[in-house]
Amino acid sequence: MQDLTSHGGGGRTGFSGRLLRGGTEPDPRFTLANERTFLAWIRTSLALLAGGVAVEAFMADLFAPELRKTVAVLLLVLALLIGGGSFFRWLNVERSMRRKDPLPLPWIAPVLAIGGGLVAAIMAVFVLVRPA
Amino acid sequence: MAWGRTTLSLTVAAAVFLRWMPHHGWFAGTLVAASVVTAVAINLTRKRRFHRAINGVKHEAMTPDVASIAAVAASVIILAGLGICTVLLIPVEQ
Repeated sequence: MQDLTSHGGGGRTGFSGRLLRGGTEPDPRFTLANERTFLAWIRTSLALLAGGVAVEAFMADLFAPELRKTVAVLLLVLALLIGGGSFFRWLNVERSMRRKDPLPLPWIAPVLAIGGGLVAAIMAVFVLVRPA
Repeated sequence: MAWGRTTLSLTVAAAVFLRWMPHHGWFAGTLVAASVVTAVAINLTRKRRFHRAINGVKHEAMTPDVASIAAVAASVIILAGLGICTVLLIPVEQ
């Protein structure tokens, strides 16, 4: 592995050099695994995005407009948070690996769990109380 | 593979955004265009990323592709932001 502390970032220049300063280059397999995890979070975010749009576009006959709008906005805000959070999670993990620190806990996981649970609860209540 | 799957997800999102076009007009069209442009950009740079990963593993040293990662994250944030604006601010065309 390459020591990059002595020459200010080594192969890292420009944007990458500014974000990932110092430390030693980790095993490329770890860097690639971190990238794949980032992409998995991005796909989760895109699924939430499509879900939000689908609720707003396809459920006009089923839900009251206010409820439809609330669920759609909730899903879209969740997509926004997961999309942004995935980048910071990737960056923090990459920095931790370079400094050989313990990996940080992903705060987007509880956000996704709480947000997804909230949307599911709203839908469940709606289905239960909706007149037949 | 992971980038390819992300391209597919963006294409699906673009297809779902298409459903908004009769109700929200050109504004939904910008969402479709943004998703498609991101998917095409990922696809066009796929070979470069693949060779970069292979060389990284071969030489046991690799600089992460920060620009691609930041660009994809920014695209998704913009798409979600525009989606929220569409739901809250853009009037539905009958």
